Amino acid sequence: MIKTIKASKSEKILFIFLICLSIFAFTSFFLLKNKCLFVEKNNLSKLKFNYPDNIAVMNVECGNVIIELYPDISPKAVERFKILIEQKMYDGSAFYKVSENTFVQAGDIEYGNINNLDYSKIGSGKSGLGLLKSELSNDFKFTKGSVGFARATEFDTEDSEFFITLKEIPIYQGEYTPIGKVVYGLDILTKIKTGNKAIYVLRPDYIKTFRMFNSN
Amino acid sequence: MKILFLFILIFHISHVNADEIYNLIKIPNLEIYKLKNDNNIRYLSAKGNFKIGVNNNISCDKVNINNLNSKFPLIEKNLNRYNSNFLNKIKLKYIVFCENLFISEINTGGIPDNKNRTLILDINFNKKYFERMIHHEIFHMMQNTHIEFFDEDKFSSFNLTSFNYAECSTCSDRLNLDLYEKTDGFLTEYSKSIPSEDMAEIFSFLMTDKETIEDKINSDKILNNKVNFIKLNLAKIDKNIL
Repeated sequence: MIKTIKASKSEKILFIFLICLSIFAFTSFFLLKNKCLFVEKNNLSKLKFNYPDNIAVMNVECGNVIIELYPDISPKAVERFKILIEQKMYDGSAFYKVSENTFVQAGDIEYGNINNLDYSKIGSGKSGLGLLKSELSNDFKFTKGSVGFARATEFDTEDSEFFITLKEIPIYQGEYTPIGKVVYGLDILTKIKTGNKAIYVLRPDYIKTFRMFNSN
Repeated sequence: MKILFLFILIFHISHVNADEIYNLIKIPNLEIYKLKNDNNIRYLSAKGNFKIGVNNNISCDKVNINNLNSKFPLIEKNLNRYNSNFLNKIKLKYIVFCENLFISEINTGGIPDNKNRTLILDINFNKKYFERMIHHEIFHMMQNTHIEFFDEDKFSSFNLTSFNYAECSTCSDRLNLDLYEKTDGFLTEYSKSIPSEDMAEIFSFLMTDKETIEDKINSDKILNNKVNFIKLNLAKIDKNIL
């Protein structure tokens, strides 16, 4: 004759606790892996702009980053930026230099494309369109979300690389050519993979597509 | 070979601090000390020790902020003598403060870097020569950007033909910075090291003790020629510095 042994109250509580723990661990594993889960998506069809010709849309893993360009401040730089976008030269460009909560940098056309990363030369690539003269502004403040053209140590060496600030960086004022500002999707950029304290990111995130708003 | 390359790459990638200031002037562990100044110069301080240069041959320690606060008014007073136009011409924008500055294991007061428009200053440098050291280093930045005005052969020709400078400033034991009582063409022992140091010593004395130098040149023809050479060529860059 088999005698049924009933679980005590404390055993039942322990059992329920273990089940809850395993559900929590299981869901957390999949939720935490998805870094884009809580990022707000920007639906382009619902957005209206005063100057749509100066709006660019950068699509990355977590969604769309919408940038307003400032041709009044840096006409030559914005003209170059638009050419690079229209020729789809930024598609696949890696965010190879990322400082956590500080800035992200991409745009090396020659050595920084995700399909052709060359870490020994990255940051020195050329677009083939020639170098630009720096268009510095002592009034433009590099607040959170500012987009600027990167350059070599010397001025007048801007080409295609650009950076976006993730916090206010007052020391950049008058040092870099401003291109524009992020109007939507700044939180998306904070999800881009960083190099921790290293100068370059290994296996970096990249730009899927970069288009002018009017071409979407 | 590929593994070795990868190892070197990872080692390189994991040992450089990539913050916004490093991105700009290639010196890690810095923070802003004072940004807004009339002559547009920007002051930065070391929040941690750093090593830079070829084979990390330049090293400096983080600043004690109380130490810097006490010395800053004197530094600022001296640097405010240069206007923004002049500083632009000599490519100087950033002053980096740190303590115990060494280059190739030799203690030094300042290191100019025209490429990054930066002058690194050791705030613990000998108090007696500190102000003079600032102007001395600024001369080096001026010479580096206007080499055509400060030709070393022409300057050396003012010396007696029997005199020879050392091969380099650090391979000489002529290091004393005290002003000679009897000058004989040189203001200090360090002036005798190499021509550019000789010029920098003259400029630094002109900036800090002009009256004494004017007095000395009355009885020293060689020094008189050298001082006039510096004044004449400095005026080509900016007439109002002295």
